[in-house]
Amino acid sequence: MIKILKVAYKNLLRKKTRSGLTIIGIGLAAWVLVSLLGFNKGYESSLNRDIDNLGFQMIVTAKGCPYEAATLMLKGGTGLRYMPGSITEQIAKEPEVEAVTSMLMQAVFDPNKGESGGYSAYLGVDPATFPQMKSFLEFKQGAWFTDPDAMEAVLGYEAAELEQREVGDLLLIADKEVAVKVVGILKRTGTQDDGTIFLPLRSVQKIFGAKDELTGVGIKVKKEADMPQFEEKMYKLPDVQVVSLSQVKQTIMTLVSTAKVMVFSIALIAILISVVGVINTILMSVMERFQEIGILKSMGATAWDVFTLIWVETLILCISGGMIGATLALATAKLTEVLVRQLLPYAPSGGLVQIDLSLIALTLGVVILIGLLSGVYPSWKAGRVRPLDAIRSQVE
Amino acid sequence: MTANSQKVIEATHLVKIYRRGSEEIPAVNDISLSIQAGEFVSFVGPSGSGKTTLINILGCLDNPTSGKLVLAGRTVVENGAALSEAKLTKIRREIFGYIFQKFYLIPTLTVIENVMLPFTFYEKPGAKKEVERILNLMEIDHRKDHLPGQISGGEMQRVAIARALVNRPQIVLADEPTGNLDTRRSQEIGILLQQLNQQEGLTIILVTHNPALARMAHRTVELKDGKIYSPVYTQDGQA
Amino acid sequence: MLEIMIMKRLHFIFLVAGFFLIPVEQLFGAVGCDLNDPDRDVARLFPGSTGFKTEYVAIDQKGGPELLAQIEDRLGDTFKGLFETINVPYTLYEVFKGREKIGYIHGVNEKGQYGGIQVFLVLDLEGVIKSFYFQKLTSRYGKQLRDQKFGEQFVGLTLKDFYNYDVNSGKAIGPSGVENIKNPVPEAEPDFRAALRGTKKNLILVDEFILGNKYLAYHQSRGERNP
Repeated sequence: MIKILKVAYKNLLRKKTRSGLTIIGIGLAAWVLVSLLGFNKGYESSLNRDIDNLGFQMIVTAKGCPYEAATLMLKGGTGLRYMPGSITEQIAKEPEVEAVTSMLMQAVFDPNKGESGGYSAYLGVDPATFPQMKSFLEFKQGAWFTDPDAMEAVLGYEAAELEQREVGDLLLIADKEVAVKVVGILKRTGTQDDGTIFLPLRSVQKIFGAKDELTGVGIKVKKEADMPQFEEKMYKLPDVQVVSLSQVKQTIMTLVSTAKVMVFSIALIAILISVVGVINTILMSVMERFQEIGILKSMGATAWDVFTLIWVETLILCISGGMIGATLALATAKLTEVLVRQLLPYAPSGGLVQIDLSLIALTLGVVILIGLLSGVYPSWKAGRVRPLDAIRSQVE
Repeated sequence: MTANSQKVIEATHLVKIYRRGSEEIPAVNDISLSIQAGEFVSFVGPSGSGKTTLINILGCLDNPTSGKLVLAGRTVVENGAALSEAKLTKIRREIFGYIFQKFYLIPTLTVIENVMLPFTFYEKPGAKKEVERILNLMEIDHRKDHLPGQISGGEMQRVAIARALVNRPQIVLADEPTGNLDTRRSQEIGILLQQLNQQEGLTIILVTHNPALARMAHRTVELKDGKIYSPVYTQDGQA
Repeated sequence: MLEIMIMKRLHFIFLVAGFFLIPVEQLFGAVGCDLNDPDRDVARLFPGSTGFKTEYVAIDQKGGPELLAQIEDRLGDTFKGLFETINVPYTLYEVFKGREKIGYIHGVNEKGQYGGIQVFLVLDLEGVIKSFYFQKLTSRYGKQLRDQKFGEQFVGLTLKDFYNYDVNSGKAIGPSGVENIKNPVPEAEPDFRAALRGTKKNLILVDEFILGNKYLAYHQSRGERNP
């Protein structure tokens, strides 16, 4: 078999430009495929990491309560529903729970915000438990408040920048005419924490007259816990709803998958075009070598031998193209990432394009499959050539 | 010099008809002949006389419309029904070696690789030794690492002949082997074929327009309009 | 049960939307100072205008640390804090009537007592203030400061007037039109001073980026007169 490989390889060298162009065609298709699969992988793992960085895997809120700042602002600051503080203790007792943290979201209408006023949201958090849950949050200036009753605030980076606040400055809570002192400014996280203003839970409860009320409980679940089963338990609590962040991830992935389908279609078209290119190249070379193939048959090559020879030529083209494409994809991974960030509305932080050996192996597998399939027709045609066809054309 | 009495090819009432539209053209029109092992036979005749068609049939490259062909005692064709392509391939491989006017060397393989080419498709013990022997015999072993583009026309034909001989055929079919060569080299090839016949005992069937070459054979068969016109007696006086 | 399912679905959507909506302002880069609604605001601030062109500049693009040093020298104060930095983008609006340029609008961020202040100036082609506008002001005394009467005090002033105003002490150090600008509410002194500092900074940046340093000579000659 080794000898057939050599003959096949040398046959391809007879028309270097043609072989080269075909390989480039396959290489480009392979490049697109590898980059795409790499993006697919990278996006998902970055998203996972971002979700994990939210700190808690599950949030329990009062039924009908918009617990997110964005939602709150969308709803015009209304519609808040509350849970009693005791719910936190109740949840903490569950064996699956590793840690809990109580939260109270409140909003005020600030006439100074934006053009004709807007809503500002404040998140009351428990200084004893919240910082531990979100231990990866880093500070640009200052630190978390420690006194649960302090009139202090920690700002996400964007929130601070908007108000030009730094540690030591005062922050006015509109409509309540209360000024709190800024004690910490977080570094950028690339998540919604950047736009959040954090206050001690009890201070928010006091300022807004919502004693012992909560809008959310963040739950960190033990690693070995049975998530679905625990979710079921939480659903059974009265008047609450449970948001599992793994389900959020699903939703985001569904949104992204639509884009992925489109891009995969493009990759598929690229592959189809290169397949046509391969078939054309090999077919042309078979047509040109009709007489020669006839002579091979006269030497004792069977139809299968000829078929194998042509098939091997096809495979060589495809594998070469595949390797070039994979190498290109590796080399341009960073550039691809930059392009993708421009195009996507939401991109998680971290590496978006992850290309590893298994991915390259998979792409090469696909390319080999393409080679095998596209080589079938030309190889079959070559196998059918009769020795006489060669000789007859000689006479003519 | 003497052909032994064993018949290596026996053809009976061979007919080959080509259809061109509604017209039927008999390229071979009822030919019967036999060739002994070790014989050197040349076929001559004007263009369209059917000599190429005939040796294609004798060489198992084409099937006759009707007739019988027996090779080395084995019936290959009877009444237009031939053996399967696979079996024919085996016969071609084991019995025949073919030499054509165009050399059909693969330009990207060296001389020795071209000669070894038949063994790409089937294993044969002692193949390497045989290749070296043939290269030596054809006096081209000093060119074995050259590419076809780097050797002369005469040398290329020698390579083609070497390739045809490397699997030790019983019968060599040469269709206008000197068509692309000048007089001197044509003569060299003729002498070479004679040597192969005399020294190696190969049966040689030659088709040629070259009278000098034709005369080198034991016997010459003249064809005209698909029939044997006249057998020409040469050295051995056999028809 | 169905209600819970629906609410859950809505919340997923909102949570997901949250990722898209926040941060509402720029995702990357320092925060700049744009008009909230340029089409509407330019027409309102510059009656008679028919169109405008927007240009974005930053000190690090236009001249780097040397330029920053020059600006700070003219301001009489350094750029401070996390958010007043060399790479802050400034939005300059060139206002047109037909094909003719008729003036400029420019805003800067300034740190107020309780929140950020955005000071916008409407200028004619010579860099004279035609109008003063707080696009953003978080203050207990917002009502008084935003009053028309307060803004009118700035009309007709130029950078020349502000050169003799010391932003650190809040006092004039020479004859200056700024002396005529009065603080309507004594308790709002920090925000009042911030407004003046913001105005001076605004005028300097316009001079550097658009007017070709028309007013630089005054500052340099001042240096000779007031060592």
